[in-house]
Amino acid sequence: MIRLVFLGKFGDVAPAGLAEITLPGDVHTLKDLKDWVARQEPVLGAAMDATRTKLIVNQCVAHDLSQALTDGDEVAFLPPMSGG
Amino acid sequence: MEVRVTAEAFDPQAEIAAFTKGRNDAGALVSFVGTCRATTGSAAVDELRIDHYPGFSEKEISRLAEETSCRFNCPDLLVVHRVGAIRPGEAIVLVAALSTHRSDAFEAVRILMDYLKTDAPLWKKETGPAGARWIEPRPEDYARRREAEKG
Repeated sequence: MIRLVFLGKFGDVAPAGLAEITLPGDVHTLKDLKDWVARQEPVLGAAMDATRTKLIVNQCVAHDLSQALTDGDEVAFLPPMSGG
Repeated sequence: MEVRVTAEAFDPQAEIAAFTKGRNDAGALVSFVGTCRATTGSAAVDELRIDHYPGFSEKEISRLAEETSCRFNCPDLLVVHRVGAIRPGEAIVLVAALSTHRSDAFEAVRILMDYLKTDAPLWKKETGPAGARWIEPRPEDYARRREAEKG
């Protein structure tokens, strides 16, 4: 299983069923996962395509979409931030 | 240095009093408080909601504060940032700096606020009579961030 966290406006359109998923057989990297999410939830995929999306794996910023995923990972999808 | 992300309302004056208590080593205190406005443009705001990513948000804000402190001769910094539901008039963020001389404290607070606007993992949603909208940094926020980076 891997945990998926959708923050900000992504959280508005992400269904609760995506919070924890069994890693699909054809998903090996972050890019695979992002593409898989977009196929499962086209509205969410479009929202991520329309803006700058940052990916966080196990609380660390991912700089490379070819990063491999393993069972037990937590991946967060972050839209542009707006603190302060 | 203290960084706190809290869902509870806080009193900026009480936070500053606790932060400065007994600190006779510092010659300058500068603070900034950002509060929730009752209007945005011409629209009323009933509530501001700030989403965060527990653990990661605190870690990243701490990193930004440490970077800022290193850059300006190590002022002691305090950051308190609200998350969750915030009503107009309530404090959203407090950034305070204690330093030997005033210029480091002024710059540290200004630059850290610029960083928080674009780089703190927090997401604001305003709700009013016209509905809800997510707020994203404005082009001028990104411009200030680039200027801050250049120093």
